[in-house]
Amino acid sequence: MTMKNNMVMVGEGVGFERIRRITGYLVGTLDRFNNAKRAEVADRVKHGLSDQMEQL
Amino acid sequence: MIQQIVKRDGRVVPFELDKITEAIYKAAQALGGQDRSMAEKLATDVVAYLEQKGNEIPSVEQIQDAVEHTLIENGHARTAKEFILYRSTRTRVREMNTKLMKIYEDLTFREAHENDVKRENANIDGDTAMGTMLKYGSEGAKQFDEMFILKPEHSKAHREGDIHIHDLDFYTLTTTCCQIDLTRLFEDGFSTGHGFLREPNSIQSYSALACIAIQANQNDQHGGQSVPAFDFDMARGVAKSYRTLYRANMIKALDLEGVENAEKLVRDAAEKIEAENGGLWPAMDAQNGYTELEFALLAPAAGEEAVKKAQAFARRYADREIDRHTYQAMEALVHNLNTMHSRAGAQIPFSSLNYGTDTSPEGRLVIRNLLLATEAGLGNGETAIFPIHIFKVKEGVNFNPGDPNYDLFKLACKVSAERLFPNFSFIDAPFNLKYYKPGHPETEATYMGCRTRVVGNVYDPSREIVNGRGNLSFTSINLPRLAIKANHNIDFFFEQLDQQLNLVIDQLNHRFKIQCGKKVKNFPFLMGQGIWIDSEHLGPEDTIGEVLKHGTLTAGFIGLAECLTALIGKHHGESQAAQNLGLEIIGCMRKRMDDESAKTGLNYTLIATPAEGLSGRFVRLDRQRYGSIPGVTDREYYTNSFHIPVWFPISAYEKLRLEAPYHALTNAGHISYIELDGDPVKNLDAFESVVRFMKEVGIGYGSINHPLDRDPVCGYTGIIDDVCPRCGRHEGEAIELEKLQKLGLYRHLNAQTLGCCGNPEEEADRVVNPVE
Repeated sequence: MTMKNNMVMVGEGVGFERIRRITGYLVGTLDRFNNAKRAEVADRVKHGLSDQMEQL
Repeated sequence: MIQQIVKRDGRVVPFELDKITEAIYKAAQALGGQDRSMAEKLATDVVAYLEQKGNEIPSVEQIQDAVEHTLIENGHARTAKEFILYRSTRTRVREMNTKLMKIYEDLTFREAHENDVKRENANIDGDTAMGTMLKYGSEGAKQFDEMFILKPEHSKAHREGDIHIHDLDFYTLTTTCCQIDLTRLFEDGFSTGHGFLREPNSIQSYSALACIAIQANQNDQHGGQSVPAFDFDMARGVAKSYRTLYRANMIKALDLEGVENAEKLVRDAAEKIEAENGGLWPAMDAQNGYTELEFALLAPAAGEEAVKKAQAFARRYADREIDRHTYQAMEALVHNLNTMHSRAGAQIPFSSLNYGTDTSPEGRLVIRNLLLATEAGLGNGETAIFPIHIFKVKEGVNFNPGDPNYDLFKLACKVSAERLFPNFSFIDAPFNLKYYKPGHPETEATYMGCRTRVVGNVYDPSREIVNGRGNLSFTSINLPRLAIKANHNIDFFFEQLDQQLNLVIDQLNHRFKIQCGKKVKNFPFLMGQGIWIDSEHLGPEDTIGEVLKHGTLTAGFIGLAECLTALIGKHHGESQAAQNLGLEIIGCMRKRMDDESAKTGLNYTLIATPAEGLSGRFVRLDRQRYGSIPGVTDREYYTNSFHIPVWFPISAYEKLRLEAPYHALTNAGHISYIELDGDPVKNLDAFESVVRFMKEVGIGYGSINHPLDRDPVCGYTGIIDDVCPRCGRHEGEAIELEKLQKLGLYRHLNAQTLGCCGNPEEEADRVVNPVE
């Protein structure tokens, strides 16, 4: 808690938590990932849901 | 005249001729030599040689060089060779010691964010005292095992990155994981090794003891712990609680009706009904006849009208209370599994709960409330990291509208869209369905932790069940390296793969023999309490070799995508030819394991390796050797098992369709996940359609990833890009307290709630994301 212009301020230096699945389990923050896994998470692309059901 | 020498650590100490004599004599002795006086003469020659070179205070290395030179000069070539061998072994030991000390130094003086070793596994906090202590032990054990336990060829293959022996630090100590049958454990109570616990009598105690069992077992093994049929196990606890609640309400109601001795009447009636009707209790499903029997017993003493009213009251309140009690029990369980310590406090237990197929009212109540407690999150609304939830999908049970647990499947989809759990397992996948016997939850294929699967049983085909069994150890093969070495020659690749599989099987067997020599007393909970199948028949001093045969010995692999790219220039996401070759490769690996099983009667199986610590290790070693090869060694990680590379653009459906056939081949475990864009909560139909698609294409185990962020300051959970959608704060930025108060946060303003605390009530009610 800090003061700024006579206003009470909170949250200075507090980051956002990014919860991600690591290999099958979850990790509450990317800080715990090893370097390789961090790189892998950064590379992940989204998978679209365009309708490919008919391809079955 | 030489008076002093310089030791390796720089100290100058008096010279002793005897030490040289001794070294030469020992080398000669190894070859059968007996002539000590010859050794003495050679030692004086060594000194003469050194003095002739003008070396007044020689170093140890210089003396050793002089010994080699003198032996060879004097025609003792074989002794010289022996001496050189001894010298190089000592050098390697010394280097290992130095390397270990360097690792210890980094563990001691560097923080986790700058030390990858401390972050090898994300679920261990390497910055804590106990986390670091575990790492000292682990790194020391690895070096010891490499030097003194492993066969040299296994040690070399592991060290050089041809294979990776997982959990090497535990090589001589224990096995990986186990699927715990809680129902059996709770019967007549159990001991954790530190105290005895009575058979639990309420759902709260059931859930508390479930956590304790997971925690105790985790300390006997190096992997995770799984409960294969959590709903069935907990249902009994709900039934016991319901009995208690119904009875208590019945007593209160009759008492209020003015009935004398209500407590004694109700209890006597309950005892009589139970004794005469094979343990009949008041059940959530009011159709079991208890109400009628109770009415008949109580009416004569208490009056028909009063009993009828009391029964209606007891039913109404027990129904309401059992729901609340079960929710609280599940809430406590989720909290416990995220906070209780294991392994000296460095970790919380690595827990997995499988459920979804119990259709009894009690089992359904467990499933629903576990999902709701997970949806609500932890104390400040945070997403719970453990347990791993696995919702077992089964046609006729919960998959289609009209199935008795279809509503729970829908709820599971919703919770997963919000909280990333549950994952989904598919009993209808043909390779799982073949074990399934309706009414026998122990035949429902389940998954542990990241993906491990143990159900088939070559050792005892009469017990192809999940309970009490687990993986013993696993070792992964570096597929991309084999492909790089093959240099586009497919036949050569398969030859090399076969040799590598032979090596891995030999190594798994070597480890298995060590594991077999352990005794029940080494595993006070796992074996001492009969968690592991058949261990209840063993005494503390018995070895566990026979019962371990129910476990699996497993080969794994990493980087199929890079392997295919190295072989034919394309991975299986971009070419049908690559997909065909990929299936051929993994099929070949599976066949080799099946053949070994048939030969030995042991459960040799194939896993799609989870590869957390390993994902970077192999590629680092391969890049050093072969340089940066596009699509193969040019990233910081090898792609997980048979997955399509994470960076490759592909639709969710296509990815699942291509990965599904590998699930059928990897009988020791597999998982596929897809990355959904946006907030899936806003499109639950799409989420469910992906899960349904998984089932249709034959996925065994799958989950859906989506961005899940949280602002600890205002408590918002959802997607946060640069700015928190609720409070408008940037990362790391301070915000006016008044603004948070206007949003309805921090109503109970005090120092403790400031800074990192949202409002749990508000979080639970969140429907639309409020943006100012």
